[in-house]
Amino acid sequence: MTTRTTADPRLLMLFSRALTAAALIVLFGYLLVYIAYAANLMGFPFDYDQGEGFELVDTVLFSRGEWPYRNTDAYPFYSSNYPPLFHVIAAPFVWGFGPAYWYGRLLGFLGTLITAGAVGLAVYREGGRRDAAALSALAFLAANTIYHIGPLFRQHMTMVMFETLAVVVLARANEIDDTGRRRRVIAFGLALIILAGYTKQLAIFTAGAAFAFLFLRQPRRALVAGVLFALAGGAIFLWMNWATNGEWWRQAIRANVNLINYDQTLGLFRLWWNLYGCLILPAALLGLYQLYFERLSIYTLWFAASLGQGMLSGTWGGGDSYFATSIAALCILSGIFAARSLNGAWQFPQNYLTRLFVNPVRRFAVPFRRALLVIVPVLYLGYGRAVLHMPTEGAVFEPVADLLGLEPNALNGFYDSATRIVGGYADIGHFVTQADVDAGWRIVAMIRETGRPVLSEEAGFQFAVGQEVITNPTQLLNLANNGVFDGTALIDLIESQYFGLVILRAQFYPENVLRAIVTHYEQRETVAMNGFDYLILAPRP
Amino acid sequence: MKPSPFSTTFTFTKRGLGLLLVFGGILGFLAIILIDILDVGRQGGIGPAQRIGLGLCIIIAVIGLSLIPLGSAEV
Repeated sequence: MTTRTTADPRLLMLFSRALTAAALIVLFGYLLVYIAYAANLMGFPFDYDQGEGFELVDTVLFSRGEWPYRNTDAYPFYSSNYPPLFHVIAAPFVWGFGPAYWYGRLLGFLGTLITAGAVGLAVYREGGRRDAAALSALAFLAANTIYHIGPLFRQHMTMVMFETLAVVVLARANEIDDTGRRRRVIAFGLALIILAGYTKQLAIFTAGAAFAFLFLRQPRRALVAGVLFALAGGAIFLWMNWATNGEWWRQAIRANVNLINYDQTLGLFRLWWNLYGCLILPAALLGLYQLYFERLSIYTLWFAASLGQGMLSGTWGGGDSYFATSIAALCILSGIFAARSLNGAWQFPQNYLTRLFVNPVRRFAVPFRRALLVIVPVLYLGYGRAVLHMPTEGAVFEPVADLLGLEPNALNGFYDSATRIVGGYADIGHFVTQADVDAGWRIVAMIRETGRPVLSEEAGFQFAVGQEVITNPTQLLNLANNGVFDGTALIDLIESQYFGLVILRAQFYPENVLRAIVTHYEQRETVAMNGFDYLILAPRP
Repeated sequence: MKPSPFSTTFTFTKRGLGLLLVFGGILGFLAIILIDILDVGRQGGIGPAQRIGLGLCIIIAVIGLSLIPLGSAEV
């Protein structure tokens, strides 16, 4: 009997370790897919996700010491609604390599690796287990949403990187005894939040979580830090507004007020649950545990606040990327849950909830603790199944896809479990092919042939020709939706057929501009590239 | 003697956070209702954003109530 009771836990431990190793292998497989995808995109010289080219325009402008926040009623009608930091970081690459997509995508990709490292570090620091830390870091990179947008020339994942670094820095700041060091750590953490905010405005939710955490631990410290934070962040804001003659306010703040499509928000929450539910569940349980049996960590408050970002995913311009911050937070919380469960380190101090719900089942504590040794790795395996995404073609991936019985359900031979169930879901993740590259160069050749300026919903073609980029269609629509876009000068140019071609990808221009285009231009050709039909319009005779 | 909320040794208790959430939830609920009472020219009554807000306020207040019995445990 004695032998049996000591042998069983050993077997169980062995089984648990085998399951954990299997989960690590599955998640590591996704890392390989991610690296292959990032390498594939870095070689693609045009927009993969609409709007990347306009982020490159911002980067080029900053490299020349110019602001991208401009008067959109004057030629070339260009402006940006994004804060500057990501483009400022990328600007030195323009000096060395000229305008190109690869370095913005590389920066985004590296940012996700740093974020994964921070996720792993947070879990290791709280739980002291390398396996839980590795599972959490790999789970972050395996998330479909992170995979989709990580290696893009977009600022979102750089914001998530600064947000994650900030909360990891602030997580234990209050416990630092040395006053000077504590102040420096808090100042550093808050500076990282300012950097996140000047990368993308959505970081305001992380700022809220950080100050809620500081306030609950020590209100006086939070108020002092809050005043200094507001002064520093506000001074940068006012300086930018002054330096751009008020365009920073008009373009980046006023034009960003958009209506919410609630069906899209609910659909994206459903998608979020379907993909990440296996880790949302332990993350939420740890949050509840901290609320009622322990001290609240910054990670729990951050996770709750990040759902505010998710609420905005239904806005025009929003989408599944608005859940990226919540994914970082839930990977940390579920990782801490995993470490505690594998360590058998749950404790329930006596309170009314313990007496009601825990004490009556205390006799099952040992079997339950043993069950967790299996449940935790199974949750990560379940997560690995839920986020399934990989190419179904090619020498490396095809045999694996065949083994798993996968049929492509996305472009260019790709399987993605993040199916399109609502609008706003980014239709990306597949690899680009040589045919996509050839199609892009065909459009570039058409622009060269005209020898005149063109109006294009994608800036990459104009960069390839060396032409000035005219307009940023999505920003003009933002402005028009908020009643601050006139458009007379642009429409005059369209009516005079000033542009040699008009290239449309998604008809993002404001309605009055689109009306002028169809009146004075006619469709000459359609070029299929990267899953989109690019409409090539020439002046009507 | 309890430290003042502005002293360097003060930290919130579960009871303190509970009370804060109860009051915050009630005030938020009333504020959302008042939007329609004060702004009589608005169309359509309580909209989807307001309904979500009201639901969140109720949840916040209920969580607050459940924290109050936990007493002096630190948040």
